[in-house]
Formats: sequence, structure tokens, C-alpha cells
Amino acid sequence: MFHYTIQKRIRIIYYLILLVFIILIIRVLYLEIFASKSLNNLANDLWARNLPILADRGKILDRNGIVLADNITTTSLIVIPSQIKNKEKVARDISKILKTDYINIYSHLTKHTSIERIHPEGRSLSYDIAQKISDLNYDGVYLLKESKRYYPYKDYLSHVLGYVGIDNQGLSGIELEYDEYLKGNDGKIKYFSDGKGQRLNLSEIYEEPISGNNIMLTIDLKIQEIIERELSNVVTKYNPEKALILVMNPNTAEVIAMSSRPNFDSNNYKIYDIETLNRNLPIWATYEPGSTFKIITLASAINEGKVNLFEDHYYDGGSIMVENARIKCWKHGGHGSETFLQVVENSCNPGFVVLGQRLGTKTLYQYLNNFGFGKKTGIDLNGESSGIMFKLENMGPVETATTAFGQGISVTPIQQVTGVSAAINGGNLYKTYIVKSINEGLTNNVIKLNHPTLVRRVIKEESSKLVRYALESVVQNGTGKNAYIENYRVGGKTGTAQKVKDGKYMVGNYIVSFIGFLPADKPEYLIYVAIDNPKGITQYGGTVSAPVAKNVMLSIIDYKGYPKVLTDKTREYTWLDQKYIKLPDVIGLTKEEAKKQLKGFSLEYSGSGEKILAQLPEGNTYIKENSTVKLMLN
Amino acid sequence: MVYSSSSIWSEYKFNTKFYYFNHQLIFFIIGLIIMIILSKINYKDYYKYANKLLFICFILLILVLIPGVGQIRNGSRSWFGIGSLGVQPSEITKLALIIFTSKYLSQNEKDVRSFKKGIFPILLVIGLFFILIMLEPDFGTAMVIIATIFAMLFVSNIKTSFFGYIGLLGLIGISSLIIIAPYRLKRIVSFINPWSDPLGSGFQIIQSLYAIGPGGLFGLGFGNSIQKHFYLPEPQTDFIFAIISEEFGIIGITLLSILFIIIFYNTIKISYNHQDLFAKYLSFGLIMGLIIQTILNIAVVIGLVPVTGVTLPFISYGGSSLLVSMASIGIILNIANNNKHNL
Repeated sequence: MFHYTIQKRIRIIYYLILLVFIILIIRVLYLEIFASKSLNNLANDLWARNLPILADRGKILDRNGIVLADNITTTSLIVIPSQIKNKEKVARDISKILKTDYINIYSHLTKHTSIERIHPEGRSLSYDIAQKISDLNYDGVYLLKESKRYYPYKDYLSHVLGYVGIDNQGLSGIELEYDEYLKGNDGKIKYFSDGKGQRLNLSEIYEEPISGNNIMLTIDLKIQEIIERELSNVVTKYNPEKALILVMNPNTAEVIAMSSRPNFDSNNYKIYDIETLNRNLPIWATYEPGSTFKIITLASAINEGKVNLFEDHYYDGGSIMVENARIKCWKHGGHGSETFLQVVENSCNPGFVVLGQRLGTKTLYQYLNNFGFGKKTGIDLNGESSGIMFKLENMGPVETATTAFGQGISVTPIQQVTGVSAAINGGNLYKTYIVKSINEGLTNNVIKLNHPTLVRRVIKEESSKLVRYALESVVQNGTGKNAYIENYRVGGKTGTAQKVKDGKYMVGNYIVSFIGFLPADKPEYLIYVAIDNPKGITQYGGTVSAPVAKNVMLSIIDYKGYPKVLTDKTREYTWLDQKYIKLPDVIGLTKEEAKKQLKGFSLEYSGSGEKILAQLPEGNTYIKENSTVKLMLN
Repeated sequence: MVYSSSSIWSEYKFNTKFYYFNHQLIFFIIGLIIMIILSKINYKDYYKYANKLLFICFILLILVLIPGVGQIRNGSRSWFGIGSLGVQPSEITKLALIIFTSKYLSQNEKDVRSFKKGIFPILLVIGLFFILIMLEPDFGTAMVIIATIFAMLFVSNIKTSFFGYIGLLGLIGISSLIIIAPYRLKRIVSFINPWSDPLGSGFQIIQSLYAIGPGGLFGLGFGNSIQKHFYLPEPQTDFIFAIISEEFGIIGITLLSILFIIIFYNTIKISYNHQDLFAKYLSFGLIMGLIIQTILNIAVVIGLVPVTGVTLPFISYGGSSLLVSMASIGIILNIANNNKHNL
């Protein structure tokens, strides 16, 4: 009986212990089977030490494949302190080769870290020095290939390219904006080490670095060189506070060249002050545009059918009253009686006030928005400003009047160039861009190609044609004469913007500008020149900036080999000979009534009713005499 | 196995890979001799000398606490140094206590059902030794002894309600300990999730898991453990099981487990069938001592129980542990043989 109890309890304990034991073993087997992979990975991280192999950073190229940002291969010294046996001797030898003090190197060698970079003495070593160190053949001393950024054109395009830090990380410009693409993936040599950092006798794993992608810009280095040269001349000649030139393809809104002064050398960016480094003027600077902005008012007025450049006249008495404000023309005494084409040629402020009034605040405001003012163009660079515009509800008659000739609003150069591109390219606003494509690093095969992006249609093809015509006249007969190039067709507009300081306009201190394009009938290059406070010259856009723009255009003509064309008196199309008349709105009238009103046009009917439902072109626009008007009847 | 897991540390400390291995080999030979001798000594002699044996252990345990006599190794004053060899009296005490309890239980067959007459005296004795061992401190051995003795008490004719009270008491004790010092809860958390404190209390467990995990089916092969390269502390003693898993994988662990179960099963069978009550208790106690120690060790290695510092019987490096384990087997062999004679 008693033995029976004991036996029963022994059996209970036996099964209990067996159960616990088996549970434990199952847990072990679980760890070995199911958790094996994740534990193995974690353990691998613990055992493995990585010697980094830096990937080659992608190059930055111009649109023709010329390298603007390159890499130089250098060698860097790294040490694995736990593997170095005789630290004193190694430190002594290395410090002798690197010509640096022993204490410094010794402190690197004795640091409690798995991998230590000798920085900065051990970076960018020359071949000779690297060879000497490698000849020592010490354990735990490694030489790694590294690449260093190099900008062969030094200070050219520096704001666009930007610069990189000591670890090749993009800090500014394209280098920053496209860092993800440029940087590539670092490789490594993975070796196993014990808990004290000693190398274990296991085979190493080599992970190849993947080079970064190349970035191909829309920039044309040849034209970039032209504007850099011109800017340098401007600096020598006028010693301005700032100066900038922008060249754009108006048909696509690609930036072809852009630069500004002051600039910097990307190879050596550290010696420049932070303002110089950060301010990429063509996209950062915001100021009152002045008369170059009149192109926008002009384009809007033409498109709305508010003006016939050839027929409508304006008498400029030297000033115009808007509410209680007297707005003066830049020319003392005024221009007298002039057509609106002459208003444009003369850059007559009161004339443009009238255009602004004809448009009305709301419509003008709508056009400014449509041309892209008041918001960033979205160019793929860092540091773009959005400019300052009136709010619609704050725009009274005076604000409308000043805006019409380019005062009271603040815009960036890139906005102006993009907006004017739309005004002259047939009326399409495109998104500004500077990266043409992203290419595979080694083969330079295109991975991603950027295409022009149409933002919106702003004005009609016909209106754009008239804008081009008017701006060509400005260069032939008006304020832009200094940009006139014989035998080539050039359009443009001058600008002299007053600078505001502490809420007041400054005296004798202007931003003088010129925006020009060629060929005038079919623009391929749009050039914008702005010079802030040039010294030793009358500060007018026509006298300072127009000649600079002319030089740029001459060089482009030379580079692109544009053929000579006959200009001046014998133009391809002579607008003045052709009469433009206002087409009345006849919708809702009877067929007979319409016929009476539409004398001088040839009519085409569709439908057979008596009442007019629609007409093409629309009413209240200026069209050529004798052109066909289509009428739809009910 | 001791060789493989210890060679790296051995070379690091003593400039020879064979330091631990050689020591263990010497102990193994001594252990073998002791085992053979003990298997020849009639187990009934222990019945006679049980009290004396326990008294000697009592003296030893007190001596080992005296600085200068006892040596501190791994933070515990639980060693007598004889040259480079160390002897742990707590290991021997384990044997002596099992023998003593066996004698006590078989002597007081009728009294064990009463708390006052039966259980209280033996609890007093065990408590005394428990306190002495905890003073070293050797928490692991103390745990093994307590668990073994309780298993023996359970097997004897004690009322089961007694264990209910003990369990309740333990629960109250643990709860009040946590309420008094909430940091203890943190310790428990860190043991459930070692990654919550990977460099502190979770460190050993994580290192141990890193050894077990990568083993896979066949392991990395004999001598190829990576974790023994200074990652895992005590690879040759407490964590030898992890290294076995790393080097021999699932197959190695399964084989090892089967060996342990065979020994366990056979001894339980001996105890179950033996006619002599003392022999029954003794063989049961001895095998429980071994198997509880094994379970505790494995539980620590796989992170189910906080680190206690218990070795894996027969496998781990450690002279006292190996000698006591082999002595246990020697006694069990004698009990087995005597039973056959009786029948």
C-alpha cells in the first residue's frame, strides 16, 4: 500500500520531469529551425566587420555629355585598432610618412572602435604616400580607394552644380537635389571577427559598390561659357552689387545657361561666405521687374482683344492720373501721340497704365497667375523663391496701374524668363527644368528622360505672334536699339527697376535688365540679363544690359551658325501693310443684321436657320481684313 | 566538447588550447575511479554514515565562507583551492543532503504525514544548508538542492496539501519582493525580452541565442563555433549547451537529449522497482539532482530562466560537478546491482 503511493508519485514526477525536459528540447529545436534565420542574421551583424568601399559618385553632364562634375580617385587610410599589434611602432611609422605628429596617430590607433578613419590626414593620399604605407605591410592598416569630387570648370555654373562635403554627400544645388541618384551604393569587404575584434580565419565577403547615376543637365556648356565670360566682363566694367544672366529655350522652358555674380568655386566652397554659397540669384532673387514685365501686360491685352497695336492711339502728356496718384512717364514731358506699338517701343509707362485699365484688375490678375507669377516655377534646384504679388482683394486702381508697367510686384528672374517664354513661344507655359535625364552610371544609358511639361495655355498663337512682332520693333526702333544685330532677327525689352530699401525707392540705384530672344520670328533662345547697381554709367537697361545681351546673342549666333536673314525694311511679313480690324460680336443677331455688321469679312455659313448661334473667331477681337468668319445658324 | 568550447579562452588565458581540456581529463579519470569504487561500496553504508557525512559538509560550508580559506571565483566564495584545482563543498553537500533525506524519509515512514513530526525537522535542516550555500552565494546549486529535496518529499507519503501551502507561500513571497523593490520586475522583463537591455542583463542570453540559432541541422562542425570567440561568456561551463548547438546543430542536441533521457529513465525504473525504501529514495534523489540541474542549465541557455550559474552534468567543464555527477552514477549502479541480488 505504502510502496504503491510512492510508486504512483514517482511516476507523476517522472512524467512531469520528462514533459519539462521535452518542452525545453522542443524550444531549442524551435530556435534552431524557425528562429535560425533571423538569429543568424543578427549574429552575423555581430560577428561581421565591414571595410567600406565607397561607390563612385555619378557625374553631372551638360546636354552634350561634357562632364561638369567629375571624380578623382584617391586613397584613404583606415585602421582597425584591435588588429594592430605593436601600436607604438605603427603609429611612429605612419606619422613619419604622413608628416604629422605621433600622438595624433597613436590616439587613432588606440581608439575603442571597430574601424577608425585617419581623418583628415589620411584622406586623399597621393600615390607615393599610399605606396609607402602599403609597403609597411602592417596588420590592421588598410588603404581604401575613395573618390573625391572635382569640378573641372571651377566657378562656372557653381550655384547650379552645388558642392559636396568630405564624405561626398551632396550639400547644395544638383548635388543635393539629386543626391539619392548620384551617391550610389557603397560596397564593403565583410570579414568576421571575434569578440575582441581579432580577425577570424573565415573567408571574407566582397560586396561590390554600385556607382551612382549620372545627371545630364539641359545646360549647354558652350553657352554657359559665353554668359560666364560676359558676367566677368560686367563685373570688371561696372563693379555691380550683383549680376545675373539666364538663357532658356522658350519652347520647352529648359534652362540652357544660368549664372550670377558673386559666385564661387565648387572645388573650394569653404572659403566663401554663406550668402554667396546659398543665393542662387536667378532663382532666389526677388525684385520689382520694371519694364521687362510690360511684355506680360502687352501679351494679356493683345490676347483679350483690348488693343490694336497699329490702329489705337494714345497721347502721352508725361503723366497719367490714377485716382489721386500721378504716374509719370520715364521720359520727361512724355512721348506725345503714339500708336500702342510705339507705346511698347518707347516703353511708355502711362500707355501701359491704359492697357492695364482696359484689362481691368481681375483679368490682369488672372493673366499674371496664368503666366506663373506669385508661385515657384518648380525648377529642380534648391533655394527657389516664389516672389511677392498683391492679393486680388488688395488690388485697387493704383496697384493695377503700377503692376501693368512692372512696379509694386516682386518676381524672380526665373519666373520672368518662364513667363516671357510663354508669351513668345505661341502661348504655352511650360514647367521650368534643368535636368534633362538621369543616366546609368557606367554606360550612361538613359534611365529617366525629362520631357517638357505643359502647365497651361496662356495666350493664343496669334497673340503670341503679335507680342514677338512688337518686341522685335522695340529692338529695331525703340529702347532696345542697343541689342540690335544687323542681318539677324532679334526681339527684346529693356527694364530699369527701382530698388526698394526700407519701404522707399532708392535714388540712383537700379537693377537694369534686358530680356531678348532670337530668332525673333521663331525664338530658340531667350536671354535675360540683370545687373544690380552698375557703377560709372547712366543706369538704364537699354544702355547697360542690352549690349551685354547683344554680346551673348552674337556669340550664340556664332556658336549655332544661324544664317543671315534680310531684316529691317524688307521683312518677311509686313504687318503694317495689312489692316487689322475689330470683329464685332454677332451672336444672337439675325443673318441679315450680321451680314451688315460684318462688311469687309468673307462669310461662311453652316446650318440653314435665320439666327446666329456661334461665330469663329470670337467677337471683339482684332483679325485681318478680308479673313473668313464662320457663322453657325440654328 | 570541453576542448572545443574552451580552447579559445584557454589559449587566451594560459597560452595553451588544452588547459581546460587537460584538467577535465584528469577529473574524468578520477571521476571514473570514484564511480567504480562507489559502485562496489554497498549503498547501505551511506545509511550508517549519513549524519556524519552531512556534519562534515556543514563544517566545510562554514570553512569556505572564511576569507583566506575559501576562494572567490566568479563572484562566489564557494571554492577550496588545491593548487590550480578547485573543489566546491556545495556540490558535495548536494550528495550528502540527498543521502540524509533518503535516510530520514525511510526512517520516519509513518511520521511524514504529520507536519510537526515529519516535515518540520527536515525542512529545518535543509533551510540551514540553504542559507549557508546562499551566503557564498551559489544560487544555482541551492535551487537544485531545494528542488531535488522537494521532489523527494513529494514522492514520500506527504500530504499533497503541504505543497499547496508552499506554493501559496512562494507566490506571496515573490509578490511582496516585487512590491518592496520594483526593479526586480524590470529584471524579469529583461529576461523575458533580453533585447530590452542588450548590453546589461540581457547580454548573456542574447549571446547564447546567437550560438543556438545559427546551428541549423548539422551545426557549424566541431571546433567551428564563432560565439566561443569571446562573444559568449563561460562557453565551457554554463553555456556549453549553446556551443554544442552551434557546432552540432539539431542532430547533436537531439542525441544529447536522448542520452540524458536514457539515464533518467533507467534510474527511475531502478527506483520504482526497488524493494528497499532507502534505496528507492536515494536513487530517486540522485537522479533528480542530476536531471533538475540539466533542466535548469538548458533553461538558462535558451533564455527561459534567468542566469543562475548551473553547469550541465557530465558535459560542462568543472571538476567538482563532474566528480559529483559520476559519484552519483556510481551509487546508482550499486543500488541497481543490490536490488538484483535481493530478488
